[in-house]
Amino acid sequence: MFSMKKTGTILCALTIGLSGVLAGCGSSGKEQSASTGSTSQPAASTASSGPVEIDFWYALGGVRGKTIEDMVKKFNEIHKDIIVKPAYQGAYQENHSKVLASVAAGNNPDVTMVEIASIAAFADAKVLEDLTPYSQGDEKKYIPGLMKNSYWNDKLYAVPFNRSTPLLYINRDMLKEAGLDSNGPKTWDELVSFSQKLSKKEGDKITRYGFSTPVDIWFYEALVFQGGGNILSENGKELTINNEAGKAPLELWSKMVKEGIMKNPPGENYNAWDVAEQDFLNQKVGMIFTSTGSLTELKKNAKFDMGAAFLPANKTSGTPTGGANLVMLAKSTDAEKKAAWEFMKWMTDTEQTVPWSIASGYMPVTTEAIDSAEMKAFYEKEPNFKVAVDQLQYGYPRPMAPGYKELQDVIQKELQRAMLGQATVDEAMQAATEKGSKLLKK
Amino acid sequence: MYRVVLASRKTVEWIGLLIVAFLFVFPFLWMASTAFKTMPEVRQFPPTLLPETWEWSNFAQAWESGPFLMYTWNSILVAVGILILQFLTAVPAAYAFARYKFPGRNLLFGLVLIVLMIPGQVIFLPIYVQLSGWGLVNTLWSLILPYAASAFGIFLLRQAFMQVPDEVIEAARLDNASEWKIMWTIMVPMAKPVLVTFGLFSFIYHWNDYFWPLIMTNSDEVRTLPIGISSLHMSDGGTLWNVMMAGNMILILPILVIFFVAQRHIIKAFIYQSK
Repeated sequence: MFSMKKTGTILCALTIGLSGVLAGCGSSGKEQSASTGSTSQPAASTASSGPVEIDFWYALGGVRGKTIEDMVKKFNEIHKDIIVKPAYQGAYQENHSKVLASVAAGNNPDVTMVEIASIAAFADAKVLEDLTPYSQGDEKKYIPGLMKNSYWNDKLYAVPFNRSTPLLYINRDMLKEAGLDSNGPKTWDELVSFSQKLSKKEGDKITRYGFSTPVDIWFYEALVFQGGGNILSENGKELTINNEAGKAPLELWSKMVKEGIMKNPPGENYNAWDVAEQDFLNQKVGMIFTSTGSLTELKKNAKFDMGAAFLPANKTSGTPTGGANLVMLAKSTDAEKKAAWEFMKWMTDTEQTVPWSIASGYMPVTTEAIDSAEMKAFYEKEPNFKVAVDQLQYGYPRPMAPGYKELQDVIQKELQRAMLGQATVDEAMQAATEKGSKLLKK
Repeated sequence: MYRVVLASRKTVEWIGLLIVAFLFVFPFLWMASTAFKTMPEVRQFPPTLLPETWEWSNFAQAWESGPFLMYTWNSILVAVGILILQFLTAVPAAYAFARYKFPGRNLLFGLVLIVLMIPGQVIFLPIYVQLSGWGLVNTLWSLILPYAASAFGIFLLRQAFMQVPDEVIEAARLDNASEWKIMWTIMVPMAKPVLVTFGLFSFIYHWNDYFWPLIMTNSDEVRTLPIGISSLHMSDGGTLWNVMMAGNMILILPILVIFFVAQRHIIKAFIYQSK
């Protein structure tokens, strides 16, 4: 069955190529490179009469996708001279591929969501428009902790839209029962001692773990920051995890797993996240790392007093952020770009970001929003959401390098090898550095 | 004695078959069960095999989350359209490869086989650019045309056509039947089980295909069911798995129906080939 897709598409390519009647697939190589190289097609100017139509691609489904559609509808009602056409394009990765393909084909959207660690890849490929002339200082309205993945070569390329951050979720009832501070552990040492007290054994079988986290690049980044390290060198050309700060997270986790106080949730990619959340809800583990994006759903389903806390600190506090930013594409016409900026600005204004945050569970993106009466009332009711925003003072950018999308998979594989005992921590970091350097040199 | 051995061997065979069948069916049953559960029950541990309360509203919620009637209609148009075109191209091609000797035949057939080995993701970009140049992106044509010919179908049919005895064709030629007529009225009916099997594979594949329609389309008017289902999935946590599974149930229902109807032919096709 798998071969069917191959079959059809390739046969098309072949018949087209062979028949010679239809020129096309043969020249694809050139066009393909355009997606990663510079694209400097002259922008066709549209007539100034009538409203400007712009395409907006988003990558969120479910209720969040619906909320986005509603926001766009409202924008279109208010702005008679602009028509925004929204389109759902799958998850971040799929949207990513699609944007690249569309840029190569010349029918790209004008505004799109881009996962924050991919901004560098797009900006470096000169696919994005420099927003500096449009924003003219307007970008100061955003929370500084959310702007760290917006710049590339000192130019502004993105504004924050749906942003999350990792949190430590705690089962307060369980902590109280064990006589622990119900605000959760503040440091790595406390994380270990809390987990020891929360774990339970029946005979040889562990029936409850103190802590669980997916062995995911996002949490690894956080722990590296907390050790005073960084994933990449300042210039983004070298991997800098083959050192104390890079090894410390793995040493902590594997020590905890060996001791039987941390569960390494099984499953590929996001399946492991689901397992961790499931175990947490079923009180099989007392504390987990997961995204702010799960706050609403976990809160709704938890049969215990659920709390959220800052990630425990090592030498320092530190956290990456996640989610996606809005970017403008360089290939659009001037009229489209003007309309696109109008749209991006509006979507991220306090008036929109407050209800967006409340409906979606993402963080609001402007400093003004956090102080707004509506947001304050919400935080009063849901203090866990405030924890996420407060943690932003310790925010680090996700590593910025064009090849980071591939690099993070390489690192994650090595992390998992080490956690499963297939490699020592030293070997894993050595291997990640060797493979990673090749990617970064490309 | 012999009978006892035979009976016990049969029993072992049956148990083996039941285990394998269970392994294959279980994920589907699990999906069905999840589709009827409430979210807390989905999250519950230990999990329940059957829902405690039957939450029919999951299906309504999935169906109403987008223009699902339109998605369904598009899915039918695309899957059936592809099927028809693939038959029209695969039958003559397979007949030629199976029954004619012409210069370059092996080379051309080799190319068909190569096609079987390259994944679609590798070449989606040039095809996208090509279709975009023709103004076909975001139309149903962009979903149908790239699949108009199937290497898998040509390969499968060629094998079936080669098994038709020469005498049958000789006899038809003696009766002055045209090649065209031989192909459609003699070869095709004789390869019916293979045709049905191939048709089913093709239909299921394109009915379920997600990547291609997602890349080629931008608006609901031309999108298919799998994209509608995937839009039930939220990024960054918080997916309602019960609604998601209800959507998947809606997706596979037509396939199940077709499968039950065509079951006889499928079994025939596989027995035929194993001889």
